[in-house]
Amino acid sequence: MTAAAPATLDPRVDLGRGLVLPNPVGVASGTFGYGFELEQLVDIQRLGAIFSKGTTPRSRPGNRPPRVAETTAGMLNAIGLQNPGVEAVASEYAPRWAGWRVPVVVNVAAEDIPGYVAVVRRLAGVPGVAGVELNISCPNIAHGLDFGQDPQAAARCVEAVRRATPAPLIVKLSPNVTDIGAVAAAVAAAGADAVSVVNTYLGLKVSLALRRPVLPGAGTGGLSGPAIKPLALAAVRRVRQAVSIPVVGVGGIQTAADALEFFVVGADAVQVGTATFRNPAAALEVLDGCLAYAAAQGLRRWTDLRATARPADAPGPTVGPGA
Amino acid sequence: MSRPVAALPASDLGRAVDRSARVSQVLDLGAGSWELTLECPEIATRARPGEFLQVQVDPAPVPLLRRPFSVCRADPAAGTLGIYFGVTGIGTARLAGLTVGDEVRVLGPLGRGYSLPPGPARALCVAGGLGAAPFPFLARALSAAGATVHWLNGAATAGRLYPVERLGAPVDVTVVTQDGSRGVRGVVTDVLPDLLTAADRVYACGPNPMLAAVAALCASAPTPVALEVSLEAPMGCGFGTCLGCALPVGGPEALALCCRQGPVLAAEAVDWPALLALPPAHVA
Repeated sequence: MTAAAPATLDPRVDLGRGLVLPNPVGVASGTFGYGFELEQLVDIQRLGAIFSKGTTPRSRPGNRPPRVAETTAGMLNAIGLQNPGVEAVASEYAPRWAGWRVPVVVNVAAEDIPGYVAVVRRLAGVPGVAGVELNISCPNIAHGLDFGQDPQAAARCVEAVRRATPAPLIVKLSPNVTDIGAVAAAVAAAGADAVSVVNTYLGLKVSLALRRPVLPGAGTGGLSGPAIKPLALAAVRRVRQAVSIPVVGVGGIQTAADALEFFVVGADAVQVGTATFRNPAAALEVLDGCLAYAAAQGLRRWTDLRATARPADAPGPTVGPGA
Repeated sequence: MSRPVAALPASDLGRAVDRSARVSQVLDLGAGSWELTLECPEIATRARPGEFLQVQVDPAPVPLLRRPFSVCRADPAAGTLGIYFGVTGIGTARLAGLTVGDEVRVLGPLGRGYSLPPGPARALCVAGGLGAAPFPFLARALSAAGATVHWLNGAATAGRLYPVERLGAPVDVTVVTQDGSRGVRGVVTDVLPDLLTAADRVYACGPNPMLAAVAALCASAPTPVALEVSLEAPMGCGFGTCLGCALPVGGPEALALCCRQGPVLAAEAVDWPALLALPPAHVA
């Protein structure tokens, strides 16, 4: 907390526990692989952060196809957490990230608490891993319980993970709940350094030609894309009112204006997700637009845009250089 | 039938660029099929037969995703690319409605294309309907490489045949239509066994049932013939990060990404029964 704020914009964002992003625009888990995939196509080192593909205790082949279906201004996915498993990520990928300027946060998924603990333990202290983002709303159900659905279950999971790793810990929240603010408050109390808001919305696409859902199995998938932006904004605003830890806004961001709206309702950083599928350089264009806006408006920090008050009982500003 | 996914090399994105391309020709080929010519010198120079493009058809987010198309033509001298497609949904309808001078975003070249024979060879291209898309480009490249090319061009009816005169390469052509409105009445696999006796390698693109039948014939020929097939899948990104375009290969859990390990796969890598159990890509 600097006494004398810089005269020009400080683009950095402090997500806590030493995780300082060089700028507030990252790419969302499940849309950017492990960073290598797009390295040849866009300047990934300019990104604020790369949130990796969901990584599980062991490799997963993912779901049978079809896995994606386009909807109006959105898409459904049911990938099924295809990933190489934490061992490959820790031993083969992380060493390559260690030389990168862009922080890589590993998104972590598991079927039960021991699974989450095993993954974060393996990643703890590994050079190249800037932090972990806990996916507590994965489609896998442990004993009939989805951690992201219930504040107490979410808190138990986060407490266990918090004990298992000193790494910066971001918890990605599910929007498919009655009160996302209650879940946010529970995970903050359990030791989360920040929250990502939000994961995909449960959706269904039906083929009239086939007279059944397009996606296999239950037929449901996670809805993302511009269609969910108003929903995500509402979720971020609710969470901002419920917690004082940093909030990473995610959901339907395509343009700099979209991202700036998330800052207005209380986000400290943002993730660009599905927009990357449409335009691999989307996140960089969002970043450049945000920087241009900040310059034109004379912003000194992104929180200058914030219109939503912190909760009355919050201990005070805890986020953002100069906040 | 099973070859592990790891054995399938993924494409690299080192040659891919994302560019705005001007539409220079819109050709209505009838029966809902179209050929579009795009001015895009960088990709025209970089593309190889069998690779594909991701085309953003509208600056507004509907349709949200780009549409994948095989490179039908690539003319480095003219700086142009061609795509051949049928109108199957909102994306292709928008493309068919473009006029000369319109701009679209084109990302490419993407994916793994066909492998060309190292020396003189007798190549057979088997096309089913819109599956003709990659073959004008491939036939030219094969001819340039010294191969002789026979094109087995099949469709439901004459109006859905890719126009032979547009091939632009010296090829022998056999035409087959299901209704007999042109060429031999029947399907490509009716005439394939005879043609296989004079082929060293086969390239195929078309509906999955046709490809499966072609694969079975190539594998069971007196002298089995190497076959490469171009496949499609509902696709999110085209560059390997959404993991949406999985195709069944090998054993019960083995999947390959159409966009990175494909769209062209060796026929023996494909799990044909599993592929045939999937709904057509354009329905999803």
